[in-house]
Amino acid sequence: MYAFFKKDILVLFRDRTELVVLLAMPFILIAILGFALSGLLSGNSEVLSMEVAIVQEDDEEQGIQRFAEELGKSGLPADAQNGIMAAAEETSPSSMLQEILSDESLSSLVTAKEMDGAAATHALEEEEVVAILTIPEDFTFNALQKMMLGAGGGSELELLISDYAATQSEVFHDILEEFVWSLNFESAIARAADGEGAVPEEAQPLLGGVESVSAVEPISSFQYYTIGMAVMFALFVGATISAMAYVEKQQFVFHRILLSDHHPYVYLGAKAIAAALVTFLQFCILFFFSSLIFGAFDLTDLSFWPGMLLIAFSLAICVGSLAAFLIALTMRYNNDTITTVFAGGVVTVFAFLGGSFTPTEGMPAFVQQLGGWTPNGASLNAFLIWIQNLDISMLWEPLSRVFLITFLLLILSLLIFPRKGEA
Amino acid sequence: MLETEELKKVFKGKTAVEGASLYLDKGESVGLLGPNGAGKSTTISMISTLLKPTSGDVRLNGKSVIKNPSEMRRVLGVVPQEIALYGELTAYENLKFFGRIYGLSGKALETAIQRSLELVGLMERQKEIVKTYSGGMKRRVNIAAAMMHEPEVIIMDEPTVGIDPQSRSHILEMVRQLNQEKGLTVLYTSHYMEEVERLCDRVYIMDHGKIIASGTKEELKSILSSEETVWIELDRPYPEFFKELQSFEMIKQATETEKGIKLILPKGSRVLGKVFQASERHQVQIINVNVQTPSLEDVFLHLTGRKLRD
Ligand SMILES: Nc1ncnc2c1ncn2[C@@H]1O[C@H](COP(=O)(O)OP(=O)(O)OP(=O)(O)O)[C@@H](O)[C@H]1O
Ligand SMILES: [Mg+2]
Repeated sequence: MYAFFKKDILVLFRDRTELVVLLAMPFILIAILGFALSGLLSGNSEVLSMEVAIVQEDDEEQGIQRFAEELGKSGLPADAQNGIMAAAEETSPSSMLQEILSDESLSSLVTAKEMDGAAATHALEEEEVVAILTIPEDFTFNALQKMMLGAGGGSELELLISDYAATQSEVFHDILEEFVWSLNFESAIARAADGEGAVPEEAQPLLGGVESVSAVEPISSFQYYTIGMAVMFALFVGATISAMAYVEKQQFVFHRILLSDHHPYVYLGAKAIAAALVTFLQFCILFFFSSLIFGAFDLTDLSFWPGMLLIAFSLAICVGSLAAFLIALTMRYNNDTITTVFAGGVVTVFAFLGGSFTPTEGMPAFVQQLGGWTPNGASLNAFLIWIQNLDISMLWEPLSRVFLITFLLLILSLLIFPRKGEA
Repeated sequence: MLETEELKKVFKGKTAVEGASLYLDKGESVGLLGPNGAGKSTTISMISTLLKPTSGDVRLNGKSVIKNPSEMRRVLGVVPQEIALYGELTAYENLKFFGRIYGLSGKALETAIQRSLELVGLMERQKEIVKTYSGGMKRRVNIAAAMMHEPEVIIMDEPTVGIDPQSRSHILEMVRQLNQEKGLTVLYTSHYMEEVERLCDRVYIMDHGKIIASGTKEELKSILSSEETVWIELDRPYPEFFKELQSFEMIKQATETEKGIKLILPKGSRVLGKVFQASERHQVQIINVNVQTPSLEDVFLHLTGRKLRD
């Protein structure tokens, strides 16, 4: 097996034109698309812009007042009371939330509209907003009690997320989580400053949120097209390896291989491994140079790359079975039209559906659906989720699609590939 | 040690090979002769387990190899008619790969590569890309690749097609050595009579998918022992004269070529006198007359009425 794919890789590397197609082309396209379309993604963040409804049931002023009254009854020294009161006014969670949502870096991303409960529900149903954030009654009071005095059960923000714009609403969810985190952190500091001891290692969950920090930055065009082109050109690897197999058959080297008494599946498997390996290498090279030259990604961010490589790896395996599938058809019908059609048309269609050229967000829903089921589209989604630092569990959906496609292609190739080597 | 029984192959309704029975004894050198499309390569593919016969059987040491090709593949080296090599790789890399897939590695692999390269006389240029080789060099590597696993039987399918005389005589000499000094069993396919005459002990002649004659060279030629070939060299073609010769009953076969006329006659027939009389009548300029002992080429002509190479 090792001998087979070592040879394949050697042959591939001797073939300059193939290398140019597989490595230089995507890189050039990244450069062109990245520069030309840099406004599309980072400038006005169309992809991720969203509207959310805020339902305000809390009365902040009254909450602070009630907290002041509670504080008065606590029997703390007057000095301390004044300090806490000042901190409470400063860090009133409700104001902080408003501040975050109207922050400049987010304003291009999130437009918050205050509504009453019924109007918000209606807006969500009409898909005018992607989420409803409800700030419940007594939120300010309960939160301050917990934050400043460590009393009571705290309070929770309620977030109702629509399911028609999963990515956006997830982003919003993350923004809130970040808020929750900073709130927890600040309250811990506040209490520490208050003489309640050292900063606890893990801040008490105050609002019932998960403590994850996320920097929701809009994706840069270079990031987008690095991924877009990488997943698209990964498909070409499948076609290239399949074309190589056809040449082996045409030039009768395949006969030599059969004569060495290897099961044809060994040959097929080695080809799949070669395709997977080349795809993975291709990803690494594109990522590396795109980061180096266009600054697409931070090469030094060690927590970032494992996820990227994992997704790249999944797609690489998928391309392996794609190659096997194409080879199986080619060998079965002794005709490489299928590979030519795949490389000459199917890849482009897939790339378009999967969002390699332009994000699919603006396209009709069925196109998005379809695109999500192409191996490149699914892994593009996975990459986007990872890069935007969204909830890791969201990766499962696109990745499971990639796995499913891999599995199906593999089964099909085993069924189609002529087991005796000769059709 | 190797035999086939009534091999038959039908491709989509077209019979390529029919009733091919042949055998190879250990250490023998056997030729398979036939014109283009005779079914030589198809027969070889079936023997070497690459092609499943429509009917018939291939046996190695008495055991059928159709269901169980492993043993055959182990002892067999096949030199395909086409250059079955990776053009992008060097000769060395090609041999390394083909050695590896036969399970060779490390020192044994390296030894096998050098042994095979030496055999075909390509030691010096082994690190060059095969694509850049001459036709003859490619043919030699093609043979070397089949020798990597030290086969006991080697089947060569027209290993000298389209190459320079030097490479050709090198290859012929090499095959002779392998057969006579190393004791390899050889099945040599060609449509060059003189190659087969030089290399092989026994010959099968194929035409239109069937084996039309077989035997030692002498046996085959004795088919013609009752006949003789007369070769009349002329200064130019004389169609009228040729026509008249064709009408002579005693003349078994008359063939017209650019330089003259070839006649196959029963031995001792006194027909030549009549031929000369006719030549005078047609004012034919005879340059030379030659009575030949038969060659395999003549045998082929006799059997099929056609020349081996058109
Ligand atoms: N895979 C195939 N499908 C259909 N017909 C085939 C196939 N292989 C060979 N044939 C036919 O079978 C006949 C015998 O072909 P084969 O290649 O065995 O001849 P050959 O004696 O090797 O000729 P050559 O000297 O040209 O190599 C030919 O008529 C050829 O067209
Ligand atoms: Mg042939």
